[in-house]
Amino acid sequence: MKKWDYDGPILEIDKLSISFFTRLREIPAVMDFSAKVMPGEALGLVGESGCGKSTVALGVMQDLGVNGRIVGGSIKFKGRDLGEMTPDELRDIRGSQIAMIYQEPMASLNPAMRIGQQLMEVPMIHEGISETEAYERALEVVADVKLPDPERMLRSYPHQLSGGQQQRIVIAMALMSKPSLLILDEPTTALDVTVEAAVVDLVKDLGKKYGTSMLFISHNLGLVLETCDRICVMYSGEAVERGSIEDVFDKMRHPYTQALFRSIPLPGADKNARPLVAIPGNFPLPHERPPGCNFGPRCDYFEAGRCDAQDILMEPVPGDDRHESRCLKFKEIDWDAPLVASQTTEKNEPGQVVLKMDNLKKYYEVAANALFGGGEKRVVKANETLSFEARESETLAIVGESGCGKSTFAKVLMGLETATEGEILLDNKSIGSTPIENRDTQTVADVQMVFQNPFDTLNPSMTVGRQIIRALEIFKFGKNDEERREKMLSLLDLVKLPRAFADRMPRQLSGGQKQRVGIARAFAGGARIVVADEPVSALDVSVQAAVTDLLMEIQREEKTTLLFISHDLSIVRYLSDRVMVMYLGHVVELGTTEQVFSPPYHPYTEALLSAVPIADTHIEKQHIVLEGDIPSAMNPPSGCPFQTRCRWKDKAGASLCESEVPPVRTLADGHQVKCHLSDADLASMEPVIKIAAE
Amino acid sequence: MEALTWTGSLGSTLGPVMIIAVAVFVLAVVGNFVAAFATSTQQVTAAGGAVVVPWRWSDKTSFFELAIPAIAVGLVLYALEAFTADPTLSAWLAELGLPGWLNTTITALVFLLMGGFFAYLLQRAPAALFEWLIRWSFIVIVGVIVAFIFFSQFAGYGNAGIVGEMAKQFLPVWLALILTFTLSIIFKRRLGLYGKLFDSVIGMIGFGLVMFWVFTAVFVGIFDLVGTHDPLAQISGLKNQPPGVPMPEGEAGFAHYLLGGDNLARDIFSRMVEGSVIVMMIAPLATLFAFMVGITLGLPAGYYGGRLDTFLSFLANLILAFPVILLFYLLVTPEIIATGLPNYMAMVLFIFPLVFFGVLIHSRYRNQPSKDYLILAIVLVPLLMLYLSVINQQGSPIDFWPLDFFDIPGGILVVFVSVVFVNSPTVFRIVRGLALDIKTRDYVAAAQTRGERPWYIMLWEILPNARGPLIVDFCLRIGYTTILLGTLGFFGLGLPPESPDWGSTINEGRKLLLIYAHPALPPAIALLSLVLGLNLLADGLREESLKD
Repeated sequence: MKKWDYDGPILEIDKLSISFFTRLREIPAVMDFSAKVMPGEALGLVGESGCGKSTVALGVMQDLGVNGRIVGGSIKFKGRDLGEMTPDELRDIRGSQIAMIYQEPMASLNPAMRIGQQLMEVPMIHEGISETEAYERALEVVADVKLPDPERMLRSYPHQLSGGQQQRIVIAMALMSKPSLLILDEPTTALDVTVEAAVVDLVKDLGKKYGTSMLFISHNLGLVLETCDRICVMYSGEAVERGSIEDVFDKMRHPYTQALFRSIPLPGADKNARPLVAIPGNFPLPHERPPGCNFGPRCDYFEAGRCDAQDILMEPVPGDDRHESRCLKFKEIDWDAPLVASQTTEKNEPGQVVLKMDNLKKYYEVAANALFGGGEKRVVKANETLSFEARESETLAIVGESGCGKSTFAKVLMGLETATEGEILLDNKSIGSTPIENRDTQTVADVQMVFQNPFDTLNPSMTVGRQIIRALEIFKFGKNDEERREKMLSLLDLVKLPRAFADRMPRQLSGGQKQRVGIARAFAGGARIVVADEPVSALDVSVQAAVTDLLMEIQREEKTTLLFISHDLSIVRYLSDRVMVMYLGHVVELGTTEQVFSPPYHPYTEALLSAVPIADTHIEKQHIVLEGDIPSAMNPPSGCPFQTRCRWKDKAGASLCESEVPPVRTLADGHQVKCHLSDADLASMEPVIKIAAE
Repeated sequence: MEALTWTGSLGSTLGPVMIIAVAVFVLAVVGNFVAAFATSTQQVTAAGGAVVVPWRWSDKTSFFELAIPAIAVGLVLYALEAFTADPTLSAWLAELGLPGWLNTTITALVFLLMGGFFAYLLQRAPAALFEWLIRWSFIVIVGVIVAFIFFSQFAGYGNAGIVGEMAKQFLPVWLALILTFTLSIIFKRRLGLYGKLFDSVIGMIGFGLVMFWVFTAVFVGIFDLVGTHDPLAQISGLKNQPPGVPMPEGEAGFAHYLLGGDNLARDIFSRMVEGSVIVMMIAPLATLFAFMVGITLGLPAGYYGGRLDTFLSFLANLILAFPVILLFYLLVTPEIIATGLPNYMAMVLFIFPLVFFGVLIHSRYRNQPSKDYLILAIVLVPLLMLYLSVINQQGSPIDFWPLDFFDIPGGILVVFVSVVFVNSPTVFRIVRGLALDIKTRDYVAAAQTRGERPWYIMLWEILPNARGPLIVDFCLRIGYTTILLGTLGFFGLGLPPESPDWGSTINEGRKLLLIYAHPALPPAIALLSLVLGLNLLADGLREESLKD
């Protein structure tokens, strides 16, 4: 089928409703959703998981599966209704005119085909061009997505590429037929921050170069700010607000949008002086939506008898261009009212040193041949000379991307692995070489962990109460079952869950509730050191704030030392006292939060700071994009671990960086940097994030 | 006493309905298939053109498009006609007194014409019509069967024929099935995965078939119902007699051999239902033991990995690579039995449930010693007594235990041991694979960081979360075991020759299969229906566990 010309909107969704049909009931996933994408425009679709944003994308692709059906409204692509097309016409359009990029790059590529074949297939099928022509175009597009050595890329298989490279290939594949509309469903969620920044940059550039319209689906407001022209905020199946980026970010007219912005840590938020405001309550299940406004039960401006009386329609905001809100009261609410600081808390003074790492090293030996143990052995240096101290009731953030050795460090601390060299001192008692089987109960109970994935952290076949009681049993708490049950209930109180949850199965809980149970379990033995491995990164924005606050509150009460592992610098700045930045097993920078977040930086810290998307139009960021991917820990670069991607390398002398591991230098009191740069160069660094004058 | 016909007088009323329903069902299935084929070609042609025109009969119908379905449908109709008890068309033609060749020609023409008409309908009829026909003819077929079973319960002796008398004999089974299904369907929302089974037709059919044989085995084995004669008794004069043969004058008891007599003049029907007892006793239990062995070895192999895994997997591969039949022949050789090898194997294999339960309980209550020992004692002491009684055999090399409550017949022990032995490596590999996957979960890491011992993690954190695939495999594996038992019986391995188990009876019937087909068929159909039921049940479970 030929591409037809049409000069109206590329995509026009009108009052779309999509439902899924299960054996029990019809579940409305999207209701009354309208949107318009003009040629060359990028529309961001933002919302929490379960709000229906991916369903809209699948609806546009007409790929809703067996159970899904469009129950109302229409989707017009270049003026033609997609719902009325035959399967053959749709097949023709998909891939050639509408292309989709999914979250998981490895799952979008066929592992048994070479990259080149997969790319060439697209125009050969859709446009019937010859193989040589297709190869030429593939080369061109691969060069466009800034992959090195395109010819070699085309010859390789997907597993030979890194995650970032794979996602670039997926983008290249989507662009092979020069589509008019590109749908990106969380395209960077599976990637590391610095890689994400590079991919986002690429998508932006390509959108301009090819003139493609984009539908960008994300849960990250900062990312949408950087990539899109217009934004549509969704909540529980409905669009609640839409408009241009500036209108929605600066002059939001829906309580949910406002609450969303208040619950993400923007620069300037402070855990003591200006804490985050979590959205109360839970996201409603699709079949338990309240009457009237879906956001009503969680809304500060809720007015009974009015907000829950009738269905609420989108209404234009006067004075703005195509800015609409689904709120009855948006004209009455004083949107500029300053946020009333809910409660300010005293900053906890750090106490004595509880945990001390002294030149900790962890090497793994990887045999080339696993079965017979022969062959050459390779050493993976997962942790290289880690030294730091953590004090009582202090929050130490450990920042780094995948492969930087933070998980290995956690394993060694927990005793699941033993240190190769160096010591871990807990209360001046060495535990670094004691595996967990040999640690006494008190030591085990003292060092506990909160895990990343809420859907994985609880055993799905045991009740919540049982799991906490088991921890109590293991930590030898209480004399009998009644005492333990009593303690379990009080732990549920501690994490602010109703006591009735004790008899629930984990599948009946939401992600945030599961994470709370995980926290309760970690504190069952009165833990003094808690390692929180990205405890909120898998949660929705509105829940993140609540869980973070909970963690802070318990920490204040229990005077716990919190080791907060994260890649999200916004949240790190918000809650940590000191920050440790790791790269490929090395600590590249260590200092108080202020020291790390202001110049002089380590070059890697600088790039990390620049890469984190910030959802604030007033922020000006220095634009630093790192080339390439994180090197493999199996085969680290010589000299400084960061030298392959460092933009300051020339200043310090390239040969020096390539040959020698830089020494640890103390810049100010307690501020350490592992870099060859001269003091003058370090002093010349400019702050990455500036708040523009208002 | 008269010989019984198949369906008696009840059959002459319900029979025609059944024949019509079956005919419609078969035709509709064929039609649906062809229609689906036709629409798919139609789509291909339409894709080329810009305008989609619905395909029309008049456009361009080649000779083959009409002829092939016509011949196919004609053949089906002809076959149906030929197999009915009294062929209506040919009987009517015969009455006209025409010469034979004309007779055949007319019959063939009539069927070709009917086929052509059907093919024409089929080209025009929408697929929805066929689906409707399939559904309703199927419902009618099921309805007729149910009605037959129902009415035969009230028919006088012999009025409902052989089928009716069998239906009467199975009365307790029907009642139990009705009770099970009613209760399960009423409470299906509260019964978890088991309840979900009743949302799937396939699963329900499978469950029904399995439960039919389970209840049969229970009523035959425990209450001595259902069967009509002693499965081992011979009655002279009934050797190889066809189904429905009356008892000779002066014999007491049930008046007919419902499914005829076998080569040794024993009642086939009674032997068939008696055979279910043996299958139901050995197959699930042997599968359970295989699971105990597989789980107890598979979990550590998957969890620890490394050399232990390499070693155990190698062993499993070794057993799997050994020809099963050869292994059985070896195990039943008298010389091997004399060495006590099966007894030693039983000693090793039967210890696994003890180990399993011991570790299961101890890992859970490790921190509460008093409770731990109490529960361990309650569970392990009876198990230990049972274990010792099972392995201790008088006259075998293992004969040291004074408190031997019972002896398992040597043949059954050998069969049991061999079935467990060849099944456990497969279970081992499944469990190992599941453990490899689940051990990477965060809750396992959480258990490790709070200092749980490995066996607690394996049995309480990993195993419960592997249950889904294991339950499905359990159902399938009972089916394999049933077939394996049949194979063993067929080769005459293990069980005594007069045993009524299905494998042995099929083998006996096979010898005279060309002259008398009736002794071999009932046990074969029984075996088939049970295994089919188990497979359908596993399918239903798998399908339903994936849905939500």
